[in-house]
Amino acid sequence: MKMADGSTILRRNRPGTKAKDFSRWPDEPFEEMDSTLAVQQYIQQMIRREPSNIDLILNMPDAQDEGVWKYEHLRQFCMELNGLAVRLQGECDPGICTQMTATEQWIFLCAAHKTPKECPAIDYTRHTLDGAACLLNSNKYFPSRVSIKDSSVAKLGSVCRRVYRIFSHAYYHHRTVFDEFENETFLCRRFTAFVTKYNLMSQDNLIVPITVEDTATESEA
Amino acid sequence: MKVPSQFCASTMEDNSSSPSQNHNGQLSAGANVSLANNKHQGSDNGTAGGAGGGSGGGGSGGGGGSAGDERPQYSMPGILHFIQHEWARFELERSQWELDRAEFQARIAFLQGERKGQENLKNDLVRRIKMLEYALKQERAKYHKLKYGTDLVVQGDVKPPIYEEGSSCGGSDGGGGDGEAVSNISWRQGRQLLRQYLQEIGYTDTIIDVRSNRVRSLLGLNNNTDSDDLNTPALNGNESSNKRASENQGRRIPAKKVEQQPSSIAEAMVLDTEAAVMANFEFLAQADIDMEEEEGDVEEELYDASSGSKPNKPILLTEDVDAEAEEVLNELNRLTETEESLPGSMHRGLQSDLRRPCEETDSTLGLGELAQLTVNNDAEVAYDMAANTKETFRKTWNAKYTLRSHFDGVRALVFHPTDPVLITASDDHTLKLWNVHKTVPAKKSASLDVEPLYTFRLHTGPVLCLAMSDSGEDCYSGGLDGMIHNWTLPPATIDPYDFYDPNVLKNTLTGHTDAVWGLSMYHPRSQLLSVSADGTVKLWSPQSKVPLLNTYTSEQDGIPTSVDFVRDEPHKLVVAYEGACVVFDAETAAVVARLEGNGTTGVNRVVAHPTLPLVVAAHEDRHIRFYDHRSATLAHAMVAHLDAVTSLAVDPHGLYLLSGSHDCSIRLWNMDNKTCVQEITAHRKKFDESILDVAFHPSMPFIASAGADALAKVFV
Repeated sequence: MKMADGSTILRRNRPGTKAKDFSRWPDEPFEEMDSTLAVQQYIQQMIRREPSNIDLILNMPDAQDEGVWKYEHLRQFCMELNGLAVRLQGECDPGICTQMTATEQWIFLCAAHKTPKECPAIDYTRHTLDGAACLLNSNKYFPSRVSIKDSSVAKLGSVCRRVYRIFSHAYYHHRTVFDEFENETFLCRRFTAFVTKYNLMSQDNLIVPITVEDTATESEA
Repeated sequence: MKVPSQFCASTMEDNSSSPSQNHNGQLSAGANVSLANNKHQGSDNGTAGGAGGGSGGGGSGGGGGSAGDERPQYSMPGILHFIQHEWARFELERSQWELDRAEFQARIAFLQGERKGQENLKNDLVRRIKMLEYALKQERAKYHKLKYGTDLVVQGDVKPPIYEEGSSCGGSDGGGGDGEAVSNISWRQGRQLLRQYLQEIGYTDTIIDVRSNRVRSLLGLNNNTDSDDLNTPALNGNESSNKRASENQGRRIPAKKVEQQPSSIAEAMVLDTEAAVMANFEFLAQADIDMEEEEGDVEEELYDASSGSKPNKPILLTEDVDAEAEEVLNELNRLTETEESLPGSMHRGLQSDLRRPCEETDSTLGLGELAQLTVNNDAEVAYDMAANTKETFRKTWNAKYTLRSHFDGVRALVFHPTDPVLITASDDHTLKLWNVHKTVPAKKSASLDVEPLYTFRLHTGPVLCLAMSDSGEDCYSGGLDGMIHNWTLPPATIDPYDFYDPNVLKNTLTGHTDAVWGLSMYHPRSQLLSVSADGTVKLWSPQSKVPLLNTYTSEQDGIPTSVDFVRDEPHKLVVAYEGACVVFDAETAAVVARLEGNGTTGVNRVVAHPTLPLVVAAHEDRHIRFYDHRSATLAHAMVAHLDAVTSLAVDPHGLYLLSGSHDCSIRLWNMDNKTCVQEITAHRKKFDESILDVAFHPSMPFIASAGADALAKVFV
């Protein structure tokens, strides 16, 4: 590898990099990415370029394995949901939100425990994200980030369903937090578009009132 | 003694001489002073003198008697009869005294022998202590090697203890060789120690036996009845083994002792020694049968005993064990071969002696200690073997644990000061707490997966750096959001899915206005240094009400990238900038020195040596540079990696340096000669980043690397 001699772009965050310059480097064409983490690199590159351009972010490059594509996107969602969880930590009091609810219709049980139980909403959020991190990094189900078994791809749906409840709880109980976060990241819109596009959740469960058309028009605007 | 008291009074000055003179004195006191010249005759003349004295005494006695009684009744036969009677009585008494004398001499000899035995025991114990000390040194060296993959540098002067009688233990001046030589040398040393030990035991076993049997008789375990008939052969055996021992040992033994043992000691000592002697006789007889077989047995017993005392050894080691075990057996073979000059009985003696005291460890005499020591000795043999079987593992670090749970690159990691616990910080905005001893069983994989115990969420951007307090209770994280959070570590036993406790965040150090890229902790003062992209370096006392102590900037150099306390002069700190490393005085914030060498560019990380006035810097231009911060000179520079060097860690003893690079490898360097000891390819690339941090555990043999591929790995 040639060192920083001007002709080669080094895409790295050296110590001392200012926050505004973090990961700000010229895009690398997907075809030139030879790393095993190319899909993650590509997705993050697209998000960084324009977080609101959901169609472009979700537009899968040609000849890309769809399972890996979905898997990497879900990793990215769970990672960015940390931001929402951080905001909820300061806002969502386990004494007030004693149960994970969105609308009055359902009480969600936390699946991180041996026997699912009614965790307070903030614990449900944390446990679900921790559990998703463990599952998505599990050597058993996802030993490779280049190719993924079909049986493992089937697990992505349930992860999607669980993490979506974090959006819905935030939307219905901590609307200001949700709006702040959403205006910054467009994450719920992207997530809705993602699960709709790849049919990972049924439309009935998508209870946060964002329609695909909304996101589409917004991103086109 | 049966000296009549009425004679003693008058001849007290003669009492000190031989008994026969006493007889004379007694006579002369009785009557005849004229025969006083007889006193100075030898004991052989005592008979004649006694007879002469007797006749003279008879006359003068008669005179004395006539003075008192006026009736001399002495007849010649009467006098003769009296003389004969007296003579017989004196002879009897004399023989009695002879006997007493012999008895006391025997006792003296016995006590001398016992003292000798005690001395030998003492020497033996001192020797064992030396052996153990040596073994401990070896163990430390091996431990160090296991921990850091290479020989201890200071080990070169380690030598096995050499004894003055070590004529048989010629030229083993080995010690800290390297590679295969180490195992050979340590084996030779072990063999010599064992040989000396055998010799010692061979020499002292009679004494030990005497003692052990005295213990037995004290405990009432001894039955003396049927052993009388065995006295003669037993004593012979005893003597011969003693002689052999003395020959082998080349040590001076009082001839008196050897000669007197069969004859004069007999009566006094037999009772004490017979059981011991029986044991001797037993093994002598056995040894006579088949010496070769005997030795084979002994070997096996030794081996069994040693392997038996480390029960978990076979579990840990696989095929290598067999090879090593064979080697061990071969070594023992050679050992016994070289000792053919020693009688086979000694091996047997060693065995039986080792066993018997072991059975008696409850006895309160010094023997209990001895028994323990022999047990220790067994363990030591086992240890030697274990150490040698482990030899193959010591050379290299191997990836053992994979820490997967982060969604994005791991920027930093820090170990707990004492526990096998570490914390990682990632671009995914979280920190995770791991206990590497809580693993998930993984299929068909050499490395074990670890799941995190706890996830710390508060940073709103990538977490870039970490520091840990020396108590292991607090952890500090700096992030792209400019925050430094002070976390309380949850207990290592926490349930990952427990309730959320906001108190996990102790406090937040605010002051930086841009990404915090480096933290460094000085434990004795509980002070924290942080370095930020806002151009400042800040010194904090995190537990104080006003935590910020000082701020350091260098207009000339711009944005700092890394910081560390100068460990040997903790009132200073060294800050890495793009073009140089700058040493500040912590109090005055003045620049003390600038460390720059041949075209220093792009310092990514700077660490100070824990003890030496040495500062090590990792550079973007693939170099690692070593500076003497006192003289502000470049001590050494080397191209260390194929790509930018990102991270450095110095082991707690300051002997090894660990570096990580974007070339995907971590390398271990010998701090002394700056050579690469090991290279491990550890992580994959994400964009142009690969390895972002490396660390040594402060007290346990772990190293770890953090990668842009969202994994952290722990090596053992």
